[in-house]
Amino acid sequence: MDTVALIAVAVFLFTYALIIDERIHRAVAAMLGAAIVVFLGVVPWEALLEHVDFGTIFLLLGMMIIVNTARGSGLFEFIAIRTAKLANGSPIRVLVLFALVTAVVSAFLDNVTTVLLLTPMLLYVARVMKLNPVPFLVTEIFASNIGGAATLIGDPPNIMIASSAGLTFNEFLIHLAPIMVVDMAILLLMMYLIYGRSMKVNADERREMVRTLNNLDERAAITDRALFRKSVTVIAFVVLLFFIHDRIGEILHIFLPFVDPAMGLEPAEVALIGAAILLFWSRQSPEEIFEKIEWPALFFFGGLFVIVGALVETGVIASIAAVMVENVGSTGEAMFIVTWFAAIASAIVDNIPLTAAMIPLIHDLGATMDVYPLWWSLALGACLGGNGTAIGASANVVVIGIAEREGIGITFIDFLKVGMLVLFVTVGVGFGMLWLTFGM
Amino acid sequence: MGYSSSLIQRKFKDIVGRRYEAVLKDYSEFLLTDEEMLVPEVRSILIPLDLFVHDITDEAIEVLSAYNATITLAYITDAGVIELLEQALNHASTEEFRAKKEEYGRELLDRTTAKLKGHGFPVQTRMFIGHKGDDVVRMAKNHDMVALCRRYADGESTDVSVSPIVLRICQRVETPALIY
Repeated sequence: MDTVALIAVAVFLFTYALIIDERIHRAVAAMLGAAIVVFLGVVPWEALLEHVDFGTIFLLLGMMIIVNTARGSGLFEFIAIRTAKLANGSPIRVLVLFALVTAVVSAFLDNVTTVLLLTPMLLYVARVMKLNPVPFLVTEIFASNIGGAATLIGDPPNIMIASSAGLTFNEFLIHLAPIMVVDMAILLLMMYLIYGRSMKVNADERREMVRTLNNLDERAAITDRALFRKSVTVIAFVVLLFFIHDRIGEILHIFLPFVDPAMGLEPAEVALIGAAILLFWSRQSPEEIFEKIEWPALFFFGGLFVIVGALVETGVIASIAAVMVENVGSTGEAMFIVTWFAAIASAIVDNIPLTAAMIPLIHDLGATMDVYPLWWSLALGACLGGNGTAIGASANVVVIGIAEREGIGITFIDFLKVGMLVLFVTVGVGFGMLWLTFGM
Repeated sequence: MGYSSSLIQRKFKDIVGRRYEAVLKDYSEFLLTDEEMLVPEVRSILIPLDLFVHDITDEAIEVLSAYNATITLAYITDAGVIELLEQALNHASTEEFRAKKEEYGRELLDRTTAKLKGHGFPVQTRMFIGHKGDDVVRMAKNHDMVALCRRYADGESTDVSVSPIVLRICQRVETPALIY
């Protein structure tokens, strides 16, 4: 390995260590690493623009604008209160309903915002029921990661994979959503078996809970009724556009003959179109909405792409791919390695930097094998691997962080015990289903 | 704080920023605090009645049913009115007026008692001539809560506003007051 390659590897490892430890903000760590490789000429300017995946960044940007605009209407609080009321005083129903709502919302909007807005309500419900909130919180984490894995826009690893590999929204629905439905059912069964006994309330407590929750008015949560309606409409429109983004030209051509029937929209374009419509229609102050965009997250992604780009430029990724090709006999074997490596590494490193590093590796493997199944293996491993540890995915950190602030301790080891069980079962089932589709 | 705990908090700060505080602020608008969630011990509730209170609403009964309390219904005829009538009319007319008021009061007490008993409340009743504000404040000292109809001691003409006597009672009583 030459000196430049060694520098690229050293910067990569150093940056990932900083990201794991987080004493320095992850965005700053990624930017610092990127600055070093750019300064030393490892990644020249022209190559830098190629390595930064603007598809991912613009998709995240568009969805952040939509979510932050919709948030101002009280949409998420409305969903949280309605879910709590639907449970009708039954702890098991609270667990199941919040898990399902978290999974569905996470599938279409970002996981961090979903759990950030649902967790306070879940804690409130657990307090009213006088029950230990930990089972509800860990179930919410797992549901968020499983739900997010179901769609192209649900989890950052999926966004990165789709943008780089050119996968469509519907392909995710075909290959990953069924796995996630099965995994969700298994998760709920596991949580019931593990925690079900501790979730008993007597009739008086149940009555008290129903009375307290019924006193909550979900309509009062809607701070801006017009914005609420517009947000729901635009989100529904954006989701519809995602379903047809790759064949939008065919549909538009029927009504507008000048549109090229072969035209398709990138997912990032769909998100930005939705953001533009919502900003225009809602008349919300763009300054306020743009201030709420999570710019550190976007710079974090940008920095990571450059650091991984350095590994590509110096041939490190190609060398690893060559070693893998030499030792892997079939696509099925490669699927096994990618799935389990991504799952276990995601639990340690955080799935975003892990995915950023794995994507060019899979591209390089494409020279010698069909890598289409490997994208699904990577998505499966990276998304569900996040369930393994307390720091495996952003949703875990957010929920456990909120719990700690509210005086509820979920230790690293406690989470690890349940998280690893969930990781191995859900990834195992998912891998089995992928194997039946592609590996046989 | 152990390493894992401080690591989680560092990552939480970097991922969430100041958004959690904003979320908590939004929720605080309609979620009860721990302190508010504690149901105070209420064993006796005073409900004053008069000519202007025709009924106790179902919503009020639903709230009161949270407490396993005895309800005291007090029908009060304004002593000031009786005094004025005694000065303006003869004794017989005043007695006739008082008898009619007492008859109405008894009917209202019986009807309201039956309704509350139907909801499982133990009920006591009192009927007397007195001051609608001062006497309620005095009696409230022996009860854990006072529930006031917004039209208590008011005229028939007002529809939605809270009567001035009710507001004054609320300012003076030390026990929790419920306005229905």
